[in-house]
Order: sequence, then C-alpha cells, then structure tokens
Amino acid sequence: MLFLIAAGLTLVLGIMDFVFLAHGSQVMIGAYAATALTAWTGNFYLGVALAIPLTFVFGLLLETLIIRHLYHRDHMEQVLASFGLILFFNELVRIGFGPAALFSNLPPMLSGAVTIFPDAPYPVFRLVVIGVGLLAAVMIWLLVTRTRLGALVRAGASNRTMAAALGVNIALLQRFVFAIGACLAGIAGMMLGPITTVESGMGEPLLILSLVVIIIGGVGSVQGAFIAAIMVGLVDTTGRVLLPHLLRSVMDQATADGAGPALASMLVYIFMSVVLVVRPRGLFPPKG
Amino acid sequence: MKNIVLATAISALMAAPAMAESVKIGFMTTLSGGAGVIGKQQQNAVNLAMEHKANTLGGFDAEVIFVDDQRKPDVAKQLANRLIKSDRVDVIAGVIWSNLLMAVHKQVTRSDTLLISANAGPSPLAGERCHPNFVSMSWQNDQTPEGMGKYMQEAGVKSVYTLSPNYQAGKDMITGLKRYYKGDIVEEVYTKLGQTDFQAELSALRAAKPEATFIFQPGGMGINFIKQWKQAGMDDVSDLYTVFSVDAISLPVLKDAAIGTLSTQTWSPDLDNAMNARFVADYKAKFGGYPSYYAAQAYDSIMAIDHALAKGGSTDAATMAGVLAKGGIPTTRGMLRMNSNHFPIQTMYLREAVKDADGVATTRIVSTVFENHADAYAQDCTF
Amino acid sequence: MPGVFLTAIRDGVKQHRLLWLLLGLLGLFPIVTSVADLPFWNDVAMRIMILGMAAMGLNLILGFGGLVSFGHAAFIGLGAYAVGISQFHGIDSGWLHTLIALGLTGVLGLVIGFLSLRTSGLYFIMITLAFAQMLYFFFVSLEGYGGDDGMILDRAEFAPFDLYEPLRLYYLIWVSLALVSLMLMMVIQSRFGLVLQATRSNAGRVEAMGLNPLRFRITGFVLSAMIGGLAGVMFANWQEYASPAIMHWSRSGELLIIIVIGGMGTLAGPLLGAIGFLLLEEFLPEIIGHIAPQYAENWMIIFGPMLVLLVLFVRGGLMGLITSRFRGGG
Repeated sequence: MLFLIAAGLTLVLGIMDFVFLAHGSQVMIGAYAATALTAWTGNFYLGVALAIPLTFVFGLLLETLIIRHLYHRDHMEQVLASFGLILFFNELVRIGFGPAALFSNLPPMLSGAVTIFPDAPYPVFRLVVIGVGLLAAVMIWLLVTRTRLGALVRAGASNRTMAAALGVNIALLQRFVFAIGACLAGIAGMMLGPITTVESGMGEPLLILSLVVIIIGGVGSVQGAFIAAIMVGLVDTTGRVLLPHLLRSVMDQATADGAGPALASMLVYIFMSVVLVVRPRGLFPPKG
Repeated sequence: MKNIVLATAISALMAAPAMAESVKIGFMTTLSGGAGVIGKQQQNAVNLAMEHKANTLGGFDAEVIFVDDQRKPDVAKQLANRLIKSDRVDVIAGVIWSNLLMAVHKQVTRSDTLLISANAGPSPLAGERCHPNFVSMSWQNDQTPEGMGKYMQEAGVKSVYTLSPNYQAGKDMITGLKRYYKGDIVEEVYTKLGQTDFQAELSALRAAKPEATFIFQPGGMGINFIKQWKQAGMDDVSDLYTVFSVDAISLPVLKDAAIGTLSTQTWSPDLDNAMNARFVADYKAKFGGYPSYYAAQAYDSIMAIDHALAKGGSTDAATMAGVLAKGGIPTTRGMLRMNSNHFPIQTMYLREAVKDADGVATTRIVSTVFENHADAYAQDCTF
Repeated sequence: MPGVFLTAIRDGVKQHRLLWLLLGLLGLFPIVTSVADLPFWNDVAMRIMILGMAAMGLNLILGFGGLVSFGHAAFIGLGAYAVGISQFHGIDSGWLHTLIALGLTGVLGLVIGFLSLRTSGLYFIMITLAFAQMLYFFFVSLEGYGGDDGMILDRAEFAPFDLYEPLRLYYLIWVSLALVSLMLMMVIQSRFGLVLQATRSNAGRVEAMGLNPLRFRITGFVLSAMIGGLAGVMFANWQEYASPAIMHWSRSGELLIIIVIGGMGTLAGPLLGAIGFLLLEEFLPEIIGHIAPQYAENWMIIFGPMLVLLVLFVRGGLMGLITSRFRGGG
C-alpha cells in the first residue's frame, strides 16, 4: 500500500524533479472514483476496472492544466501550488459527495479471512493488497528497465536537455510519467477504501509517510522506495506493538505507558533522521 | 408645552425598541475539514431549536451567530474574541473539542460572557479551573467511560484490553473506565491519533485473547477500527465495548458492520420524553437521518439559554449561570440536575446499535447503568 | 562609531521603506480601532504581528539562505511551552520566559540545524519536518503539562508593565516585531548576511573564498529558530494557552504560504504575507457567505486555486506586485 503511493510519488519527484504534495488527493480521488463506480455498477471489480483508467486520465488532465507550468519553478513554489490543489480537491469532494465519509463494501469473496498460520486468520483483502503491491512493483521494474519507454524515462531523468536534443518528446514523456504516478496513487486509494474510510482528506496522513519512504529510499529510486516501504512498515508496526512492552521491562508501568506510544509515534521520524544523518541522500540514491 | 409633548413622544419612541429585549448567542463549532460533519449536525440542531422556539428565548428576541473554529485553538481564540468584542454576544455556546474549549475558556469567562459547552468536558474545567460563568450542557469526559466500567464490572467481565488514541482524552477515558472496572486489564494500548490502520493492534489483541475489548476511537478512527475488526473476524475472539465511537456520525457509514455493538451514553434517540421525541422526529424529517448526541447537546444548550432567560429575566452572565446552576433544566435528556461545578448530574444508559423499522442503523437503550451520576472532579472546584 | 551605526540604520530604513511603513501603520492601528470602536481588530493585528514575526525569522534562511525548513512551527511551540512550563513551576517573569525560550530554541536550533544541514534540497525539507514531528509527539505525550489538551496560562509579568492593562500586550508584540525587523535588517546588510545570501546562489564560490558555508547556514538557522521562539512567547501570552497544535506541521506550511504570498527574500514580504493571509482567512468565508451562504464553510475551494494562481502568475508574491507597480509607474 505504502509502496504503491511511494512508487507513484517517487516517479514524479525523482524522475521529473518536481515536488508534488497533492499525491494524497490522487489517493482520495482513486478511492472516491472506485466507491462511486462500484455503487453505480453494483460490482466491485467493474468499479475498480473503470476507476483505474479514470485516475490515469485525471493525471493527464492535471498535468496539462497546471503541473507542466511548474516544472521550472523552484521547490517552494511547487510545494505551495500542490498545497493549493490539496485544499481545492478536499473541498470539491466535500461538496460533491457530502462531508460524511462513504463506506465501501467488499464483495463477499474478498471479505472473509483465511487461516495461513494456525490461530491467526488473516483478512483475504489484505492479501489482495499485498498481491497488488507486488504486482505493481514488478510491472514498474519491467517498465523502467526492459522497455523502450523506460529507457526514455531514464534518459530524460538523467539529462533532460540531452534527451530532448536527441529528439525525445520530453513534454509528452513527463505527462505520461505523471499520469502513471497518479494512477498508482489512485490504485492505492482503491485498495485503501475498503480497509479504512473514504472521506475528504483521507490521503494526507499517508502523504507524509510516503514522503518519508521516498526520502529513506532515495529520491527517484523505485527499488529504494520498495525496500524503504517495507522497512518503514516494519519499524512502525514493531514500534507500536513491541515498544510499550520493552519499555515496561525497564521502567515502571505508568512511565512506560506514557513514553511508549509517544516514542512509537516518533519512531518513523527518528528512523528517517538517522538514515539521513548517516546517508544524506537516502539509502539507495539513484546513480548519476 | 409643545416641547414637552415632543419630548415625551421621542422618549416613548426611544423606549419602544428597548421593550423587546434581545439576546445574542455566538455558536462555535467545527464546520470545515474532516470534522465538519459533527459541526453541521450541531448547526442543524441549533437551527431546529430556534425554529421550535420561534426565535424567542425566554421572552428575548434571540439571534445566533455561527462561527467555524476550523478545529484550531488559535482560530477559536480569535473567533471568541470577535464574538465578545465585535458582535458583543451574551452567550458563547458550542465547542466540540477539549483543547479548543481550554483555549477560549479564560477569555470568555473573564469578559462576563456565559460560556456553555455543548460537548467538550475536560477535567481541569470541572475541577481546579472551574468558573462561575462556565456551564456544561454535555458531560465531564470521564463520566461516559465510568458508565462502561461499571457495566462491565457488573456483567462480570474478567479481562479487558483497551485501545484509545494517545492524547489527553484517550487517557481520561481509560482513567474513567478504571475508576469503576476492577477486573484484570490485560493491556492498555495507546494508538496514534488519527491512525487509520489497526492491523498490527488487532493481531496483538488476537494473541492476547481478552474476554472483552474496550475502545475509545472517536470519528474516523472508530469507523476504521470497527470495519477492520469485522474484516478480521474479531467477534469470535473478544467482545467489543465502545464509548464515543458508535454514534449517528459513524453509523450511517458503518451500517451493518456496527450492529450489536455496545456503548454507553447520556442520550439516545429513543430516550422517552416529549422534548426528545419532538427533537428526533423533526430532525429526521428536516435533515434526513438521525441526530447524534452532539446535535442533542447543541439543542439542549439552546434550551438551557431559554430556561435561564425565562427564569432569570436578564442576559447577565452571572444571573443566567446562577439559574442554570440550580438545575431543573428541561432538555432532551429530561430534567437535568446540575452539580456544584456546573456540570450535569445525569443518567447513563447502555446503548446497542440496532436497525430501526426502516432498516436504518441507530442506537437503542438496553439498560440504565447509572442513575444521577456526578463527575469525580466537583470537589476540587471552588468558585 | 555610533554614528556609523545610525547611518546604517538610516540607509536600511530607506531601502526597506515598505517594512517601516507597515510597522508604523501597525503602531498607529490601535488609534484607528479605538476611534472606530472596533477593539476586536487589535486582536487580529496581534496575530498578524506574531505570525509575521515567525515568518520573518523563517525567511532569513528560506528567502535569503535558500533553505526550505518545513519544521519551523516547532520553534514557535517551544517558545510557547517555555512560557507554559516555567509558569507551571512558578516562574512568572516574562523577561525570564523570553530568556528561557531564546536559550532553548537556540540550543535546539543548533542541534537540529547541525544534523539537518548535512542534507539539502528535498531531504532538508523532510528532515526538518521529521524533527518538528518528533517535538510535536513529544509534547502530545507530556501528560503532566496537559498533553494534547494543552495548558491554560496567565499572561506573564513583564515588569513594570501589566499585560492585562489594555494595549500593553499589543505594544509588547509590536516592539518585539520592530526589534526583530531592525535586527534582521542589520543582519542582511552585514558581511554575514551577504555570505549567507551567496551560499544560496553559489555555495562553491563561498567555499572557494575560504569560508565554510555550513557555519553560515547553521548560524542563520539558529537565529531564525530563536526568532521563532520569541514569536512563541508572544503567542502564548496572546492566546493565554499553549498546546501542541501550535507546532502542528500544517502551521509550518502556513508559515511557508505566508512567505510566498508576501514575497520570498524580502524583508517586508513575510509581514505583508501575514496581513494578506490572515485577512483572507477572516474575510473569504464571509464573502462567500454573502454570495452563496450554504458554501461558506467551503471557503478553501476558493483559497486553494488562489494559491495555485498566485504561484503560476505572480512572481515574488505581494512584494513582487508592489515593486513592479512602482517601477512601472516611474
């Protein structure tokens, strides 16, 4: 999940050298599109199938209308413009779908739990999410390393002017990459919808976390994002579950109860700071 | 002679508007952002109350000014200031969040404006920091989990696992629970505020196998938690008890997923009294859907102002607070008694999430947990 | 020697006329509000001055040093808690609070700056955010000091002034803002300021001159953190309340917005931006309320695109608008 968002974002951030923070909005739009289309068609699979191209088109539109004017601006202005977009899309969704959260239901096939390990049933849909994440990882990897398009993207990233001089249509390429990013975020939103709630601003808590993932992985590195997503997930989860116990063994209950959760919330950020202090450009900075 | 007649006429004219006295109320709630749903409910309820009273409260022409605090303490502080100094209101009511109430409390009470909380009830304001110009029309934060604690104690629950967000109210809730529940607390887990994914916590919970699970996960967190609880099939592992997590805000989203969940609350849509019946019926007819306790408390706040003005006959903050302090306030919760710290002494009900005749999810009172329950901080309060 | 000093100030005032004009207007503002009987607007002006002060501090490293810190609200929060926590332990003197706040933000600014400045660009944005988030969660979990509910506090004793007297607080904030402006003006004109600005455009050249850009950046960071701390002290006294909400990451974002609205890398920009931002926040919902009452709470839908348009079409923010107007006019 986190990887899906992070992968999309790292494409935009790293390859296009563009600081885009409205990724959370794309997550939200994906979730709303899937939920609305599921309600409309009455079929979850059909809804998702229709929503994916929709998010792609949405990415294309956004790029054409606004984003492409911002490539040559500095980071600050990009941050601000995308912040403005976040506000806009949040309100748009609130006006369009009402302020209350939507509930997206799962088809019965996906809503049960399976028992993989004895005594520990695991929700089926979570497995689907993991599967989709892995699939996306493989596909991006194939796309970037094995196809002509991927070669162009890499060429564009390492030396934009040179690639343009060689006759590559950078503008079109960037539009395409941005739309792929939007699409990945949208898919993440569709996966997220049935687990959590579909509501205005739902993408923002994930946004910071996915930025953390990208930073740790190294901006622009898809494999870095993949490994970092797993690491952040592990750090966060073990921190939440194990840290209070660990602290309780070294201090008294009351202090541990206070310090544990606080430390657990900080853990991801501490982790990132440590990584950055040791390796200022992330764990896997892209070469060149 | 002529002059005298003229003067009399003028003074009569001048006196005329003063005859119909008026009261101005500032209602502060959160209308924008994710919590806007709650604020909207409160706004609806206040509008309904004003309609029921034909814009006249206790014989005074009444006007309500709504302000949106954006859930930010500094914005709330500034809005309160505007209401006091620019709009010159007599009463400020509303305020959903504890931290916002703390932020505006001092300034409002100091300016001799009556402050009525329609939701937040942080313990400092019930104890040491209590003020004669502050009245709660909701509850003290601890009261509701105390009710759940008592119920679980009486039901003979042996072991409880608690999950609440890591912030002040989250800790207050567990304090309240433990004040009446004396069984084994397997684990007190504090989740991150605004957490959306509880898979790790649910796995740990499954391993711990507690008889019962107590959650305080308000708003979106509750929706997420209960949804994931069902998806993971946790009902087979543990019994779920909730406070402030299953209400008319989350039920329309959760629908079937929440049916059967237990919670404690001082109010429920099916509470049997005339005022509540009218409130709920008209609210449903006008706004489509059940009101939440947030809405009921907002409605009650307007009723309290009506009562205070009718009995006291003055918009003076001390007079109104004095009337309210005596209790006997007609509300959707029946006649409300008041404690020495201006917090209600009230009955606590156990509610179950059910479907009504139309198949809409709502809550129904199962039993009474506490009769006339007072909060634990009143003895620390001296005006 | 003092003569040189005064000349420098006079030149600075001339150069940054708009800043001193704004300061002058803010100084006279209470007269307007008392004549027009609008006491509420003093409150808005105080908030503008406090946020403006913090934004000016941030602008030192952002606009002049080219370092985008996304965690500056943390220093405002530290300043506010310096007041809250000292008061909790019986220290009531505002002068002492200010001293504690400046010391605390100075030391933490040094530590955070030292660690963060190893990185650059996007990494720097994120590491400053990370430190701010750590501090945020730290204060949320401080149960003894109210945690998330925050702590109610009294206005501090700035002997011989009683801040509960009308307008005392207003002018305390105003004087601090003027002092900060004066100091920033001197800093920017000094050799230090020039080197700091040079590190933004060409760090390599600074190094070639035999100077260490890192040292200049860290000094700038600490200075800007301390200004944030001072703003925090004022904020706590203004709000009579301190809570972690002061240091939420969205406020760091707000500071960035204020700077960009006003104009990066100009002295008056942040103050102008604070005026623009807070007036918009005050009036936009009301304007929409008049046109379409049911959408008043959705004012962000107008505000968002306004930001985008501002970035797209107005270079240099409000300052850019004003200066280009001046030049165009003659």
